[in-house]
Amino acid sequence: MLIAAALLSLWGLVLLVSSLSGRLHLLLHPAFHGLVAGAGALLLGVAALLALRGRHRPVERLPLPWLLSAVVANAVLLLPPDPSFSLLAAGRTQGLPDPPRLAFLLPPEQRSLSEWVRLLRSRPDPSLYDGQAVRISGFVLPVPEGQPLLARLQVRCCLADATPMGVPVAWPQGYRPVTNQWLAIEGRMATATLAGEASSVVIPERITPIPRPQRPLEP
Amino acid sequence: MERIRTAWALFQGLLLEALPFLLLGVAIATLARLVAPQGLWMRRLPRHPLLAPSTGALLGFALPACECGNVPVARRLLAGGAPLGTALGFLFAAPVLNPIVLLSTWAAFPNQPWLLLARPLGAFLLALLLSGVLGLLPESRLLVPELLAQRRLSQPLSQVGLLERPSGLVGAPLPPAPAPEARAGWGAELEHASGEFLNLASLLLLGCAIAAVVQTWLPRSWLLSVGSDPTLSIVALMLLALVVSVCSSVDAFLALGFAAQVSPGALLAFLLLGPVVDLKLAGLFTVLLRPAAIAITAATALLAVLLIGQWVNLWLL
Repeated sequence: MLIAAALLSLWGLVLLVSSLSGRLHLLLHPAFHGLVAGAGALLLGVAALLALRGRHRPVERLPLPWLLSAVVANAVLLLPPDPSFSLLAAGRTQGLPDPPRLAFLLPPEQRSLSEWVRLLRSRPDPSLYDGQAVRISGFVLPVPEGQPLLARLQVRCCLADATPMGVPVAWPQGYRPVTNQWLAIEGRMATATLAGEASSVVIPERITPIPRPQRPLEP
Repeated sequence: MERIRTAWALFQGLLLEALPFLLLGVAIATLARLVAPQGLWMRRLPRHPLLAPSTGALLGFALPACECGNVPVARRLLAGGAPLGTALGFLFAAPVLNPIVLLSTWAAFPNQPWLLLARPLGAFLLALLLSGVLGLLPESRLLVPELLAQRRLSQPLSQVGLLERPSGLVGAPLPPAPAPEARAGWGAELEHASGEFLNLASLLLLGCAIAAVVQTWLPRSWLLSVGSDPTLSIVALMLLALVVSVCSSVDAFLALGFAAQVSPGALLAFLLLGPVVDLKLAGLFTVLLRPAAIAITAATALLAVLLIGQWVNLWLL
């Protein structure tokens, strides 16, 4: 049982380290974070009990599937996730986010990118937003037709169900946005014609490259 | 390289989300062993061809487990001698017919009352059908040998002949790991549960790896591009359910993301098929069913869900 105790503690460590290191912010919806941490603590507790029970017994043989799972657990510990956001978003239709609750009440410059997307979806009339200040951050997402968007990924369960949501940006002349790069943009909303329709676009006044945020996913 | 990094992150996301639910399932199965070690209550469950899977399906309300957690519980039911129909009904219906999943479906689609009724009803009918079809096979061709040996020891001699019960009485070799019949105590149960969790986790790793690789290399837009075509959209969403492999307690929120782009039958097909068959489950099912039985389950479920989806499209489109 010592082998089982060691392997359980390894998996418990994987779950706890993932929770405490903030790695889960990149992988799961926040609703599951407590569950993962709790499961990790439980596994460590069970492993301790097993180790106490089996401390006088000889160490048994390690089955091959368990050995492989130990290798994977170590790999998860040593190799943190580093996905390409634009690859995750590629080939996935943009999500239909819930309608905004507070976005209209917030001053425009305090709206996040996802709040802007929700607002523009629920009330698409661009004249409502003309001239409003914008202060958002996101990653550069190329789209098949037109200019790259500034986007975020929305996650309801885990990264497997991530759906992109983005706002169009009128990139300055000569500026080449780099795919996947995280940018903070300050500017104003304006009306432009996209695909034959009047739409709201962000006119950047200042574009600043930023590191990937601690919580890059939108719940 | 970018794709490998993304597949690795998807793998971690699926795995870290599924492991707590697997642990929950093993915990429920262990509690069932501790509370009723002889499994007497399991043997008293109805055996009627319709009542047995119905009881199993409704057990989901008492033992809420999503599709990863229900495998160890169903294994415990089978090993404890529960009627085959009850265990299979639980295995296939409990991931939908439990309070958590029904609440999340309601939260995601509060304005689609037909879906709130059609999802549990469809899952119930699908479980009845799968239990009926798999029940046509003899248990020796349905269940993996180790589980069958444990099950034989739990079944009364009125149902199982001595020759089928490898207890050593008639000279047959002893089963590799027979289930302890007597109350084993919390320590032994803990050891048993730990072994079961580690075995299932190894299989879960395999399923998550397949799902992550397929998702990374198969653009989802191919599947969703068929849009509102009545039949193709159902097939596409069924493929998506197989590939995405998200937990049944949250798949309704995922479906919300593309609900407006696909036909209603396709939406229901996604919500019905995922909890029964997906790539992540492929490995887990091997602790219960023989490969041929898994193939029959997948084929029957695919066909039945396609028919249900078509019928819903006929009705609503």
